[in-house]
Amino acid sequence: MFLDADGAAQRRTNRRQGAGRGAAKGRGRGKKPASEDEEEDEDDEDEAPRGRRGANKKKPAKGRGKNKEEDDSEEEAPKRNRKGGANKKKGGKAQDSEEEESEEEKGKKGKKGKKGGKEEEDSKGKKGDAKGKDKGKDKGKDKGKDKDNDKKKKKKKGDSSSDSNTDSEEEESMSEGEMAKLMEEVEEKKKLIATIRNKPWRMKRRLVHLKEAQEFVDKFEGALGKGKGRKWYAYKVMMTKKWIKFQRDFENFRTACIPWERKIKDVESHFGSSVASYFIFLRWMYGMNLVLFGFTFGLVVIPEVLMGLPYGSIPRKTVPRAEQDTAQDYSVLMDFNGYCKYSVLFYGYYNNQRTIGLLKFRLPLSYLMVGIGTFGYSLMVVIRTMAKNADVGGGDGDEGEFTFAWKMFTSWDYLIGNAETADNKYASITTSFKESIVDEQENQKDENIHLRRFLRVLANVLIICSLGGSGYLIYFVVKRSQEFASRDDLSWYEKNELEIIMSLLGLVCPPLFETIAELEDYHPRIALKWQLGRIFALFLGNLYTFLFALFDEVNTKLTEEGAIKNASIWAMKEYYANFTRVINDTEVTPPPMSPADVIRGPCWETAVGIEFVKLTVSDIQVSYLTILIGDFARAVIVRFLNYCWCWDLEAGFPSYGEFDISGNVLGLVFNQGMIWMGAFYAPGLVGINVLRLLSSMYYQCWAVMATNVPHERVFKASKSNNFYMGLLLLILFLSLLPVVYTIMTLPPSFDCGPFSGKVKMFDVIMETIDLDLPAFLGTLFSYAANPGLIIPAVLLMVLAIYYLNSVSEAYQNSNMELKKKMQMARDEEKNRRNNTDSTNQVMKDLEDLLPNASLRPPPEPEPEKPPEPEPKATKTKPGSAGKGVNLQKDVALASPNPNARQPVSRPPRGAGPGPGPGPGPGPGRGRGRGRGAPPR
Amino acid sequence: MGSSSSSINHIPDAEKLMQETGFSAAHIFRLYERFEVLDRDGTGQLRPEDFGAVRELAMNPIGDRIIRAFFSPGQETVDFAAFVRILAHFRPTVTNWTRDGAQTEPANSRTRKLKFAFQLYDQDRDGKISREELLEVLRMMLGLQVTEEQLQSIAERAIQEADLDRDDAISFDEFRKSLEKVNIDHKMSTRFLS
Repeated sequence: MFLDADGAAQRRTNRRQGAGRGAAKGRGRGKKPASEDEEEDEDDEDEAPRGRRGANKKKPAKGRGKNKEEDDSEEEAPKRNRKGGANKKKGGKAQDSEEEESEEEKGKKGKKGKKGGKEEEDSKGKKGDAKGKDKGKDKGKDKGKDKDNDKKKKKKKGDSSSDSNTDSEEEESMSEGEMAKLMEEVEEKKKLIATIRNKPWRMKRRLVHLKEAQEFVDKFEGALGKGKGRKWYAYKVMMTKKWIKFQRDFENFRTACIPWERKIKDVESHFGSSVASYFIFLRWMYGMNLVLFGFTFGLVVIPEVLMGLPYGSIPRKTVPRAEQDTAQDYSVLMDFNGYCKYSVLFYGYYNNQRTIGLLKFRLPLSYLMVGIGTFGYSLMVVIRTMAKNADVGGGDGDEGEFTFAWKMFTSWDYLIGNAETADNKYASITTSFKESIVDEQENQKDENIHLRRFLRVLANVLIICSLGGSGYLIYFVVKRSQEFASRDDLSWYEKNELEIIMSLLGLVCPPLFETIAELEDYHPRIALKWQLGRIFALFLGNLYTFLFALFDEVNTKLTEEGAIKNASIWAMKEYYANFTRVINDTEVTPPPMSPADVIRGPCWETAVGIEFVKLTVSDIQVSYLTILIGDFARAVIVRFLNYCWCWDLEAGFPSYGEFDISGNVLGLVFNQGMIWMGAFYAPGLVGINVLRLLSSMYYQCWAVMATNVPHERVFKASKSNNFYMGLLLLILFLSLLPVVYTIMTLPPSFDCGPFSGKVKMFDVIMETIDLDLPAFLGTLFSYAANPGLIIPAVLLMVLAIYYLNSVSEAYQNSNMELKKKMQMARDEEKNRRNNTDSTNQVMKDLEDLLPNASLRPPPEPEPEKPPEPEPKATKTKPGSAGKGVNLQKDVALASPNPNARQPVSRPPRGAGPGPGPGPGPGPGRGRGRGRGAPPR
Repeated sequence: MGSSSSSINHIPDAEKLMQETGFSAAHIFRLYERFEVLDRDGTGQLRPEDFGAVRELAMNPIGDRIIRAFFSPGQETVDFAAFVRILAHFRPTVTNWTRDGAQTEPANSRTRKLKFAFQLYDQDRDGKISREELLEVLRMMLGLQVTEEQLQSIAERAIQEADLDRDDAISFDEFRKSLEKVNIDHKMSTRFLS
């Protein structure tokens, strides 16, 4: 903690990680980086001396001894962790022990000492480690101990044999006999490993022994071997270190590469994980859209721009003569008419040439593939993410046992030295406390079931009423707008009535729902889900009315198109006829009609695309303006008018806004639905969306930090974002339907878009199969399309789904079982430990101090405690936060011998209280903290 | 660090300290340098104000308690030996540090670490963390963000969670048990020398 002030750069990274990553996740996550850091530090410590050592080698023996000694002490640090049963040597001890050496050994040592090379140095640390720290105490232990002693002796010799020797050479100084002994030792351990199965030990003990023995063998086998083995060992150690360091660097790099991680952590520490979950979702969406954008632009838009015919070459790429005067007006462009309409942004601009450019790029095919691929990719990503989110959790079910105590004692990160980080940490600790408090309050609310039920039913009725009302309103408006469509003398309001009503509904209904939802009194996390579901239903109504209106429009356009098609053919004929008549010379081929004059069809695809783009853009405008007015302006007014106002604006009525999680999440989800539906008709829409997501990341992050206040009840987001994902999946599916419907059934326009001239859009695939692929593939496809094959395939899939489903259910069951068992085992373990603890403090201490069970005289031959399943309710939160003092206490931890509550010997200060106020509830009761209402 | 060997001899009691705390010579030397930096008036004694220069401590909500932990009761200054002894609590635990060290437990053992942390909370040194002591810490950590009532209930809950013998306070044993799963070796270890 202390020396960190002058820490090097790596320390700083540590701090950053601790602050950033650990911020609101609590220390649980912060722990890992810390341990990695440690290792890295050790690496560094180790590397530096190595280099120096090389330089030192040349120096006179005297100086070298000194340096070496120090190097050892440094080097032992990294080794220490890897030592199995070996103890650690102290750096400074070398000098102390000089007197104890024996003469002949010294001589031997001296002889061999000069050879000390790199390998020895590596193994030296190990040797040194093997030497017991507390020399005096090592005597009289088992063999491992003996060996340690041997080595220790050796060590002393080495050190004492004048300064010229270092520990590195002590290995050399090992007499043959000792060598053999060590060898024997290794052999024995190997044998143990081989026969451990047959030992009549308990599993745990076996494992401990096995591990120990393996480590021992690993360590000494390499070191003992002749030159090659040793070199290999040194190499291995070095590579392991390098690898660890590399992994850590890579991890750092990856963390640094996560975009907006800092921003989100900032938000999280001030507003809690629930608000942060929105931003994480937003980031995820951005990532997905970036991929979609890549597909659409890389495979459709850019090839068309680069290789397709230029603007003005053919009718579909030209603004019609009648519109040319106004085509550049701002208002027209804002409606995505004029030049916008005849641009690469929309479906109609693309030509139906089978291949374009030198590369023979099959644009129509690519267009269709990208349109379908967008859905395929999105589905895959969403489902994969959902699946990945689903398998978090599990692990140890021990969370929530000492929530508050842990938070209190361990949440501070002691490496924070930066004021801003410290502020964030304060905020995040506070937030996490608040989250826990909310959870806690929820757990022990006392229920008036009937009232609650009544209120919930009432709330749902109210909400269904308002949903129905808004649905009807939309229906009504759509009808009206269809009437308006045939008229020309429309006011601005009448033109935009549909959008206005929909936006208004979107503004009014969510707060209304929220107010009604207060009747229900759910935990905020659950309330959020309900709220999301309801607004979702509302928006869904909007969406589908919008779609039906659109389909009406498409149908009228389609009928209109039939007429125009004939008209345009007729006009073309007329044109040529007129031309020949005027020129009166049948030999001359008439110049082609100017593309601007050709009579066009209505091109319903572009019309649909324009609708979607308009909707998206107006959605962006509305949401940004809402933030600007609803949050920013409000915050400014509240903040500054507060100086001269009759009541306290900040605490009183307007106050600052809270971040509206449900609204924002749904906005995002629906916006994405629009994109999915519209992308096929307006490839440019994906680009617009990417821009939108990017800007709103910065804009909303700023807005939330600058103008909002945390929720009154900060609550913890559920661990996975799967609810959001579920909504997204639903929307994806819903938006898939109309697009696929249009692709499969509606005829494409005759004079615009990549599929013009075909009966159906997917004919382009057939065409490719026929023309470009070998013939047998064509027949293959025609077989595959046979209903006789498709129906069995569908059946097969249904069966597979059924099978997999039941398998996963079975797994789930066994998972639950295992979890229960684990919990039970843990409880048992805890009980046993606490028992021995309370009965025999000395034993307990020994147990703590003896890391290897081999040396521990088994306290009791077998655990006298049967695996009595303690009904310990870890999941349910214990008692009340406030007044639950009188709850039954947590006795089950040390249950079965209540008279042993007070250990015989307490730690020095613990002696204060006499035996606690009674033994508490008997063992059978377990910890009686259920979920039930605490006695008040 | 290479130069440390030459100056290690200047440090009083260096070897005794090394044995006692398990620090290596280089560590001790490094610590000594640090000590000298902190010791602005060069008396060889640190006063509480001197610790204020460490930013990590200044930021820490219970920083002044940690600082106070360096001073044995009644004393206004701390010399190098005591300084090192305290810091030894933060030396990383070695998994197999000894086989029978029951008599002399090094300062970096898990128990000693916990003990140190415990004493940070146990201000009146009666071997128990009382509710008032918890509340005090909570106020430092959470400040004005949380209402007093909530603070009360947090303290209440923390005690309730950890308190096994129902004496309304957390004894060291209970403290240790409640932190059983926490990896205290990582939390209370720091890498000396970097």
